[in-house]
Amino acid sequence: MSAPSSTTYYDSEQSRRPLVSEAIHFWEYRELIKLLVVRDLTVRYKRSVLGMWWTLLNPLLTTAIMWLIFSQLFRFPIPGVPYVVYLLSGVLLVTYFAQGVAATGAAIVNSSSVLSKVYVPPEVFSLAAATAATVNLFVGMIPLLVVIVVTGVGVPWTVVLTPIPALAMLALITGIGLLVASLAVFFYDVLDLTNVFIQLIAYLTPSFYPLDIVPDQYKIFIKLNPLYHYLLVFRYFVHGGEVPAWFSYVVMGGTSLTVLAAGVWLFSRSWQRLVVLL
Amino acid sequence: MVEVHDVSLAYRLSHSTPTTFKEFAIRMAQRQVKYEKLWALDGVSFHVDAGETVGIVGPNGAGKSTLMKVIARVLPPTGGRVIVRGTVAPMIELGAGFNAELTAFENIVLYGTLLGRDSDRMRERAAEIADWAGLSEFLDVPIRSYSSGMLARLGFSVATDVHPELLVVDEVLSVGDAAFQKKSRERIERMMEEGAAIVLVSHDLDTVREISQRALWLDRGRVKLLGDPDEVIGAYLRHAGVDEDDHAAPRAAPLRPVEAPDTDQAASGG
Repeated sequence: MSAPSSTTYYDSEQSRRPLVSEAIHFWEYRELIKLLVVRDLTVRYKRSVLGMWWTLLNPLLTTAIMWLIFSQLFRFPIPGVPYVVYLLSGVLLVTYFAQGVAATGAAIVNSSSVLSKVYVPPEVFSLAAATAATVNLFVGMIPLLVVIVVTGVGVPWTVVLTPIPALAMLALITGIGLLVASLAVFFYDVLDLTNVFIQLIAYLTPSFYPLDIVPDQYKIFIKLNPLYHYLLVFRYFVHGGEVPAWFSYVVMGGTSLTVLAAGVWLFSRSWQRLVVLL
Repeated sequence: MVEVHDVSLAYRLSHSTPTTFKEFAIRMAQRQVKYEKLWALDGVSFHVDAGETVGIVGPNGAGKSTLMKVIARVLPPTGGRVIVRGTVAPMIELGAGFNAELTAFENIVLYGTLLGRDSDRMRERAAEIADWAGLSEFLDVPIRSYSSGMLARLGFSVATDVHPELLVVDEVLSVGDAAFQKKSRERIERMMEEGAAIVLVSHDLDTVREISQRALWLDRGRVKLLGDPDEVIGAYLRHAGVDEDDHAAPRAAPLRPVEAPDTDQAASGG
């Protein structure tokens, strides 16, 4: 028989310290997060013949369709790299953001059947969803790297730095996810609103089109979109091309940390009311 | 072991809670955001000593399950304070996180880890846990094909595969068939012999009378009476208008109706 390793002292008046408590929970529940991530990644394709291969296939198929449409119909001139490489890296990062925010935002509401039966810090489910999205990104990078090699672009050494934009994005996704989750328990509509917001952000990110085709007076909207800067850095690290300005690194680092802190702070304040509503 | 000081817990009533942002915005504009609160618990105080068994009785909606969840840390109290010392095995709506697509093995590991146990230890224990539930030949089968009774047994087996210092039991002693009920009772009794304290909610008043040292009668979120199980249950039955003899009579009957546990909820969890 195993002894429960859960904390052996519980005082309901012990207050949470924003960021500190979450960091401790992240560490204490790392095994559970690992299991939840594996569950997320396997259950989705459990009944399918190809199973986990869909993680590789999904971005490839999306890219194939977009490549057919955009390279044959629109013919955007892309500086530096073949269009298919530009497209695949863009699709990968935007999908990572879109799926990550959607899954992380809904994670707590979707786990209400667990959270109403056993004690688990709710943010554990948000972190697991965000982590699963990150794992998907890294798996999706395999076909991307293959395409980069096949098209003769060559993989630059900076590819070892891709965890930096990936982790910055993980922080951003977790932050937005916790903000959404804190609100979603009170108004379910927030999840739908989030999907609209994700679409807007996705189209405002030059994933399948070059920034150059945007009329000058509208370029500001794209540059105001933090995701644009994440994508610039990500692309530069993975396959070279346009060199990001220092400003892009600042936006990436700044938004990821600020949004994460804001999400955790709001969540820390609202989780008690949230749990009772589940 | 457990200290419950003046604990209250308020739920917002669903009909007054704006569930959509649109609705909220409209009400906000009309300055009508008022939350009607339902006090599921209202100034509850009691304690459980180490090794002691306290039974909780009361009518439906008295706040018994809410009180169990507050002690098991699932619900943070709105007011008051709860202190629990020692390892806790919560037995409330068993089978949290069971996922129909995963195998019994995977579900055992996941459920055990959700309960705060070491995941490697759960992998070692899984075979024995399934065996105790009488399900060892189905260990690698997705639990989508399990019956609700099988799921309940599996949940019970995982939840009780521990040596806790406190058991929080909410209506789960009537899981499974007669043979399994006997087995599960023996397991609970073994834990009691090992010195585990128990907080128990049950509509099976005979069980409460039998195993509790003290009983607490909860009514509409308040403690109505606390003390000797015979006295408390007697008073509760008189209040409910049930004659004690009438209540005791069906005991001899072979087909005593048993309070149905939430077994089907286990399947939908995840």
